Amino acid sequence: MRFYALAVYAFLYLPIGIIALFSFSAGRSASSMEGFSLQWYGRALNNPFVMEALWTSLRVAFVSAVLATLVGTAAALALTGMRGRLRATFDLLVQIAVMIPGIVIGIATLIALVSVFDLVNPWLEQITGWSLALGAGSLIGAHGLFTMSLVVLLVRGRLETLDPALIEASSDLGATPLGTFRQVTLPQILPAILAGFLLAFTFSFDDFVIAFFVAGAETTLPIYVFSSIRRGVTPEINAIGTMVMVASLTLLIIAQLLLRRSQAQRRA
Amino acid sequence: MKNDTTPISRTAFMEELRRYQKGSVTRRHFLGVTGLGTAMAVMGGALPGLLPTRARAQDIGDRVVLATWPNYHDPANFDAFAQQTGALTQVNVFGSNEEMLAKIQAGGSGWDVFVPTNYAIPTYVMADLIEPLDLSKIPNYDAAAFDQRFATAGTIDGKVYAVPKNWGTTGIAFNSTKTGGIVDSWKTFFDGARDKFDGRVMVHDYQLTTIGNALVYHGFSFNSVDPAELAEAEKLLIDVKPHLYAISSDYQPAMRNGDAWLTMCWTGDGKQMNVDMPEIGFALGKEGGEIWSDYYAIPKDAPHKDAAYALINYLLDPNVNATEALAHGYPVADSRTNALLPEALLNDPILYPAAGALDPLEFGAAVTLTDPNRAEVMARFKSA
Amino acid sequence: MAMTQTRGRALLLTPAALWYAALLLLPLAVVLIFSFGERTPIGGYAPGFTLAQYANLPARMAAFRNTLTLAPVGTLAALLIAYPLAYFLAVRVSVRWKTLLLVLVIVPFWTSILIRSYAWIFLLGGKGLPALLASIGFEDIRLLNSPFAVLVGIVYGYLPLMVFPIYVALEKLDLRLLEAAADLGAPPWRSFVQITLPLSMPGVLTGSMLVFILLMGEFLIPAILGGGKVFFVGNALVDLFLQSRNWPFGSAVAVALVVIMLITVAIYTRVVKRYAAGRDDVAMM
Repeated sequence: MRFYALAVYAFLYLPIGIIALFSFSAGRSASSMEGFSLQWYGRALNNPFVMEALWTSLRVAFVSAVLATLVGTAAALALTGMRGRLRATFDLLVQIAVMIPGIVIGIATLIALVSVFDLVNPWLEQITGWSLALGAGSLIGAHGLFTMSLVVLLVRGRLETLDPALIEASSDLGATPLGTFRQVTLPQILPAILAGFLLAFTFSFDDFVIAFFVAGAETTLPIYVFSSIRRGVTPEINAIGTMVMVASLTLLIIAQLLLRRSQAQRRA
Repeated sequence: MKNDTTPISRTAFMEELRRYQKGSVTRRHFLGVTGLGTAMAVMGGALPGLLPTRARAQDIGDRVVLATWPNYHDPANFDAFAQQTGALTQVNVFGSNEEMLAKIQAGGSGWDVFVPTNYAIPTYVMADLIEPLDLSKIPNYDAAAFDQRFATAGTIDGKVYAVPKNWGTTGIAFNSTKTGGIVDSWKTFFDGARDKFDGRVMVHDYQLTTIGNALVYHGFSFNSVDPAELAEAEKLLIDVKPHLYAISSDYQPAMRNGDAWLTMCWTGDGKQMNVDMPEIGFALGKEGGEIWSDYYAIPKDAPHKDAAYALINYLLDPNVNATEALAHGYPVADSRTNALLPEALLNDPILYPAAGALDPLEFGAAVTLTDPNRAEVMARFKSA
Repeated sequence: MAMTQTRGRALLLTPAALWYAALLLLPLAVVLIFSFGERTPIGGYAPGFTLAQYANLPARMAAFRNTLTLAPVGTLAALLIAYPLAYFLAVRVSVRWKTLLLVLVIVPFWTSILIRSYAWIFLLGGKGLPALLASIGFEDIRLLNSPFAVLVGIVYGYLPLMVFPIYVALEKLDLRLLEAAADLGAPPWRSFVQITLPLSMPGVLTGSMLVFILLMGEFLIPAILGGGKVFFVGNALVDLFLQSRNWPFGSAVAVALVVIMLITVAIYTRVVKRYAAGRDDVAMM
């Protein structure tokens, strides 16, 4: 079992290792190793477009993941135990949102938003001086649509396997609904919420298809990467990927250490 | 100032260019060693009128959005532009004219300047997506200085909608150690794909050149939209497909690591691969093929029009344009810029092939880009 | 009590409802309208009412066939690889390592799928695995730009989507149940079939559905690892919207794809309902 898990992790991290290895190449090609050099890291860090794209991606992924987690969890809580037409409608919406291919959502969102902006902007400009445009907002909205639905599925799956007796017991013991939620429900569904948040963040951070259509003048990291690799990959792209990886792993380890310390404190 | 730099020899220059492109020397070193820096400084000092004049930040705003092709600019020039005008250039990079057109057609692109290829411009005009340029805002554009072959596509019905950037060709890149020599015909290209180069040949992932060159193989026009001729091209492509290494416009990695031996290839890519790996050569198909020119244009709904004009004007400054050419390695049609470029570069057979080799080539036509039958042929080819 | 509950529910649902209306229903309506329109000579959309786009659908038959073959195969492969890992993470790993290992499944996906696919190009290309195989005597094996390479990319790309739901389902598995089963003399395979597997079924079904659905619209992996030679419906859509800009036909293909998915989901829901009817512990989407 442990060996199997190791093998799967090797499968997951082998390409990552290759990316990291080639990022130290001295040559121009990102698919062979020619000497050792750190120059591509310097180049990536000094490339304002890379940094701007990275910042845009992080911002969009974080905001859309937070919103998707909040809205999705709220919807999941409301939907659990609900019956009737509203429930059926919502189930259908969740299903459709999850299964519409990114390319369809991307182009459809683009066309729809542009049509709406064309209608609304002349008025808006007169009244407020501002106008709507594609950008971080439409990215967050389009990414969140899919990831919110994932959160609904994950959290509701968890809620529906929750023992109703626990909640009854809690209210029998005089807990308020909010108290029951915080003391009983939330701890139970927290893993699902966390998983949902991680999936949402990852999806948004990694998405190219939807972003390509609805990003307007914004450039996210995948859009930058995609356009750069169209005509010859340089190890600069590998350096970016490696840095993102190392940064996220570092955050992860810090989070794990903090978590363990707080657990130890609680026990003590 | 004139005599403090000894002229550099051709071989030494190419060596320096190679080092520069590999990134092992800085631009400043390169310009210094080759004497180009001096030339540019002299030019700049002697002709202050060529320097961008609209240089007040409050005039043009704080940013300008440019949609262009990958590796097509010298980033240092954008820094300099920001210093002079206060406007930061945000660069969006694209893979094909079809993508750019699709995005502009849908609206809301947010672009101020973009770089259409010759055959795309009539479509933008027809779809009312671009407006004639106000040339008084681009004093650095001197129509007389440009080779007309690579400048006329920007003018439609006497109105200038776009000003020229660079030009190039679509030829064949071959790994001579694997192919056993130069491949300079589409006949060898497509027949070899089914024979001794089985599984080693790549074609582009967009219809214009892939179908165009298959048409040229049969002796038809690169731009043909004749159904019978297209049917022949389709038959050839579908017959070749199982033997292809890939249908992809991203051919550099496979060529560099030896998996692919032959590919359809643009000038700049051919140059870049040749610089790093001399065994990879670039040749034009002797039966014909594509020659193209890129332009700067401003979308109708550009949010920062003043900045757009300022940026185009800046990039057309011959001094700036020369550093651009050194960074991306595509030929320039502006004689003022070419006067600043070293002769070795101007004699480079990949960048500037002999005039005779260019004769059979055709410019892509507007209808070639938009013909629905060609799109369907490509779809059938790819899904076969 | 009932009143406040209803009001609370409405409050919880409103943000999601608004989100769906603005960014799902409105765009879908636009696609539907477009699918009855016509392509202008220079591409794009011209209003109209014609069924010509739907009549033309057989022109993309090959793409639908490829997709409907590789998507189920890819889903099954991902499931077979993900299940043991999810089981291991949920049941066998101690609490202190669980989160870390779980997040490690997802961390590679913080590097762009594009970059990772390029790494696979190297691994499957001439200087990667084939070179390794050649050194042990298997000459001239070509892996890249084949359906196999696409399958590897698919499994690699969608593994976490399979691992997570299964993990979530298995994580609440009460180990005492398994212990009790063992105490009662049940062999491990039997307690797996009778306890673990049924309990994980919601996760398995959710994961499979997610992966299958995303595969139906996939286009990057076939484009990159299939060398453009493996053509999915997603690739057909991208070409229609980004190359030929035949938006009405593209919209019709999109509608057809969505309809196929709806049918698949309906069949799936029926299967799940029948399955759930036999077991009251299973609830599905």
